Amino acid sequence: MISFRDVSVQVEVPVAGEPPKVKTLLSGVNLDLAERRVSIIGPNGSGKSTLLRLMNGLVEPASGQVLVEGVDTKKTKKVRKLVGFVFPDSLSQLLLSTPLDDVQLSLKAVIKDKNERRPKAMELLESRGLGHVAEQSIYDLSGGERQLAALTSILALEPKVVVADEPTTALDLKNRYIVNKVFDELEQQVIYATHDMEWAERADYTLVVSGGRIVASGNPADCVAFYKDLVFR
Amino acid sequence: MNQVFSIYVPGHSLMHRTPVWLKYVLMLGIMFSSIIVMQWWYSVLCLAVSMLLVLATGVGPRMGFKLSWGVYLMAGLLLAFQLFLGRPEIAVAVSVNIFAAIYASRMLTISTPESTLIDALVSGCRVLKPLGVNPETVGLAIGIMLKSIPMLMDTVGIMRQAAKARGMQSNYIMIMTPVVVRAVGYAQETGAALAARGLAE
Repeated sequence: MISFRDVSVQVEVPVAGEPPKVKTLLSGVNLDLAERRVSIIGPNGSGKSTLLRLMNGLVEPASGQVLVEGVDTKKTKKVRKLVGFVFPDSLSQLLLSTPLDDVQLSLKAVIKDKNERRPKAMELLESRGLGHVAEQSIYDLSGGERQLAALTSILALEPKVVVADEPTTALDLKNRYIVNKVFDELEQQVIYATHDMEWAERADYTLVVSGGRIVASGNPADCVAFYKDLVFR
Repeated sequence: MNQVFSIYVPGHSLMHRTPVWLKYVLMLGIMFSSIIVMQWWYSVLCLAVSMLLVLATGVGPRMGFKLSWGVYLMAGLLLAFQLFLGRPEIAVAVSVNIFAAIYASRMLTISTPESTLIDALVSGCRVLKPLGVNPETVGLAIGIMLKSIPMLMDTVGIMRQAAKARGMQSNYIMIMTPVVVRAVGYAQETGAALAARGLAE
């Protein structure tokens, strides 16, 4: 369960020769997300990423409170063990040069014996169909393989919740299908922002974000219809 | 930059089977001794040894010895500078040392997985713990640096192409400004990725 209690997020925007201006990215967010699959849709710059980043403590609320399984996201160490975060750009997400090295890095948090980490990392990559590229440079992988490698690294930390910020945006049709399928089959609660309306509709619950506010929430099909109406009216 | 150091190539060659500490000793031995001795004949000897070590990784001369034009340019500039100062022997030694150092480091990176390289560095850095150095952080920083170099080189290439497409290939400010902006953005995203995995605490 992820709860937002009257959350707002503001940033200071520097202005030459003047005091910085305060810009509100999100305001008045009150939510309880218990569904297994929650999709978030909305225009670019609407506040989707900010909403997702609040769940991992990457963004701190200016006011209000975000709780993940009852843990305040200000307790970043605890909350990051609970919430795995998938970024839109897997090249930024993968910290080391090969999938095998990157998964081993994640495993440091859960396996103390370094001799056990390598076979475990290999096993995890093989379970995602990435065994053959485990030792290849991440720059030589396809977009889909890279995103799956990034997801494998996140799942190695055994999070209870997976939060994904447009994980399929840069992927072609085939890779998008593969990555979507992997997300759909995860045991964890998955909360994802997407511009793929078909995928958004497959969720159990949907949020529509616009102008830093939740403007609609509930049944995915109704929310997608609402969003399309908002965009094209 | 990948072309300078080269990335790990899986295999079972002599160098793949050599313990990582010995490979570090060989690499550092070649690098430092060639700088300390600074004699042309010794530099040539070091170059020959480092090239043999590259061949012992089993990758073959084509991949093992291939270098980018930037390396030849740098060696050429150093050679010219030392010749200009009237020191032909040092000119040869300095420029040959560059190739010897690159091939010695290439032997290490071709035959050793990055995680093993970093683990060895982390072990080596443990002696610095009393000085407040965190070996794990050093290892992670080096790993991220190694991973980031190709990305930055790629960004320079993309910006060069974009400038070329607009007929501005000689405007280096136009090329480098977006490269710096992208590098800062990339660094911020990497920082966020570290934090998200709980590695920044």
